[in-house]
Amino acid sequence: MSEMALPRPGPVLASQIRYQLTLLMRNPRAIAAGLILPGALLALERGSAQHITMAQAAPKIAGLVALSAIAIAYFSHANGLVVAREDGVLRRWRVSPLPAWAYFAGRIAATMLVTAAAGLILVLVAVGMTGVHLTAHAVLGLLVVDLLGALALAAAGTAITAVIPSAQSAQPMLMLTYIPLIVLSGAFGAIQSLPHWVNTAMTYLPVQPAIDAASRALQHNGAMMSAHDLAVLVGWVAGGLLLSFWCFRWDPHRPAHARPAQARTTARSARQ
Amino acid sequence: MSAIIVKDLVKRYGRFTAVQDVSFEVASGQVTALLGPNGAGKTTTIEILEGFLAPTAGAVQVLGANPRTGGRDWRARIGLVLQTTSLDAQLTVTEALTTFGALYRKPRRAAEVLDLIDLASDARTRIGALSGGQRRRVDLGLAIIGQPEMLFLDEPTTGLDPEARRRLWSVIENLTAAGTTVLLTTHYLDEAQYLAHRVIVLADGRVVADASPDELRAMGGVPMVTFRLPPSAPALPPALAQHVARNVLTMPSADVTADLATLIDWARENYVDLTGLEVGPPSLEDAYLSLIP
Repeated sequence: MSEMALPRPGPVLASQIRYQLTLLMRNPRAIAAGLILPGALLALERGSAQHITMAQAAPKIAGLVALSAIAIAYFSHANGLVVAREDGVLRRWRVSPLPAWAYFAGRIAATMLVTAAAGLILVLVAVGMTGVHLTAHAVLGLLVVDLLGALALAAAGTAITAVIPSAQSAQPMLMLTYIPLIVLSGAFGAIQSLPHWVNTAMTYLPVQPAIDAASRALQHNGAMMSAHDLAVLVGWVAGGLLLSFWCFRWDPHRPAHARPAQARTTARSARQ
Repeated sequence: MSAIIVKDLVKRYGRFTAVQDVSFEVASGQVTALLGPNGAGKTTTIEILEGFLAPTAGAVQVLGANPRTGGRDWRARIGLVLQTTSLDAQLTVTEALTTFGALYRKPRRAAEVLDLIDLASDARTRIGALSGGQRRRVDLGLAIIGQPEMLFLDEPTTGLDPEARRRLWSVIENLTAAGTTVLLTTHYLDEAQYLAHRVIVLADGRVVADASPDELRAMGGVPMVTFRLPPSAPALPPALAQHVARNVLTMPSADVTADLATLIDWARENYVDLTGLEVGPPSLEDAYLSLIP
C-alpha cells in the first residue's frame, strides 16, 4: 500500500462542490424552475399594482423567493438524487474513495449556492420593478434566510428520496408534497379560509417560517428571524440529515426477487 | 499473497440461491475471467467482491480486507467498470476524469488516461454526446485513474467494435504487466482466451471449472481437425465426409495421426491444397459449452 495519504477533506469537498455546481448549471430545468416561474408570477403581480411599499412588497417577494428555493433545493435536488441513483451514478461514487458525507455536503452546498443566487436575482428584479428601497443589511439578511431555508429543504429532499422507488415516480411523488406546501404556506399569498390546524401545521413545515423570515429580513424589521422560525428550520436540517443517514439508498431500486427456488431446475430440464 | 480469497460463498435472494459454495483464489498480478451463462451468478459474485452485496454465507477477502467494511483506503486501491455505464452525461470527459482523480493518492494525469483510452480528441466532449463504446472507455478511464492494485471489469467490452475491443485488451495487458490484478466477467470467449491466465466457469451458481484457458480447452474432449474445403473439392472418404457441414470439415479425432494420414492421402490424390488445416484441442467455446448444463 502507498505511503501517501489520501486527499484531505477540504480539497475533496471543494472538488465535489465544483462538480455539483457544474451539473446544476448544465441542467437548465433546475434553473428555469427556480427563476422563470417566480419571475413570471412577479411580472404578473407587478403588472396589476401601481404604488407599492416595502411592507406590501416584502411578503410577496419572500413568497416568490420561497417558491424558487423549494423548486431548486427540494424538487430539483431530490429529483436529481433519484435520477443519479437509478442511473447507477451513486453506485459508482459509493465504491470510490469519496466519503459519503463529502458527496452530500458537496451536493447540498452547491444547491444552497444556486438557490441563494436565484433568490438574489429575483429580489433585485423585484426591487427594480417595484422601486422599493433595499438596504445592504436586508440583502444580507435575506441571503442568510435563503441559505438556511435551502439547507432545510435540501435536507428534507435528501430524506424523501428513500421512499421514491424510481426515476419515473420521482416527479409525481415530489409534486405531491411540493405543491400543497407552497400553496398552503402562503407563497402565493395568504389563504384566509384555511382551518386553524392547517395554519398551525404550516408553521412547523420549512416553507412558511422561511417566508416569514425572508419578509422580516427584507423589511429590516427587528430580529431577522423569530426563535420559532429558526428552531423549525434548524429542526428540519437536523431531522432531514439524520433521516437521510439512516434511510438513504445508494443502489438502484431492485424489484423483490421473484424467482422461485425451483426455477433453475425447470430451466435445466427445458434445455435437456 | 492472493488478491482475492473466496471461501464457501453463498448468496440467496429469498428462496432463490444465486451462488452456492463458490470457492476460489486469485493471485496478485493475474487476469482471471469469470465465465458462465446469464444467471450463472457471475455478477452476483463480483458485486459481493466489490462490496455492493453482503454474502448470505461464506467469506470473501479482497486485498486482505472484507469488501463490506473496507474503508476509503481500501476503496482507493480498487477500480471497477460496472456492468452498465453509469456516468454524468453533463460532464466532459476531462471533467469526469479530473473529478474522480481528485480522490486518489497518486492519480494518473487526465491526459495520460485520455491517451490510454484513446479519447484525447474528445477530451472536451460531454459524455452524453459520446457513443456507447466511447462511454465504456470513459468508464475504464475512471476505473484506472487511481492506479488501482485490483481492477474489477464486468463485461467491459460489451458494445465495443472490434478495434475498440482490441485497444481495451491492450490497456488491460499493460495494466497487468505493471502488476494490477484483474477479475473480469465476459461473454466473449476470445477475450477470455486472449487475456486470462485463468478461467473460472460458473453455472447454476456453482464453479464447474477452474483452469487456464488451455487446460479448459483440453477438458472439452478429443482434439479437433478443422479444414475449410475448397469450392470444387472432390468427395472426401466416407469416414471424413460425415463430419462435413457447410463445406467445413470439423472432426473430433481420437487418433490424430491416423485421421491426418487419411486426409493427407486424399489431398495428395486430388491435388488439394491443405492451407488452413487446423489441428488442436477443442476451442474454448466448445469446451465451455460442454461444461455448462
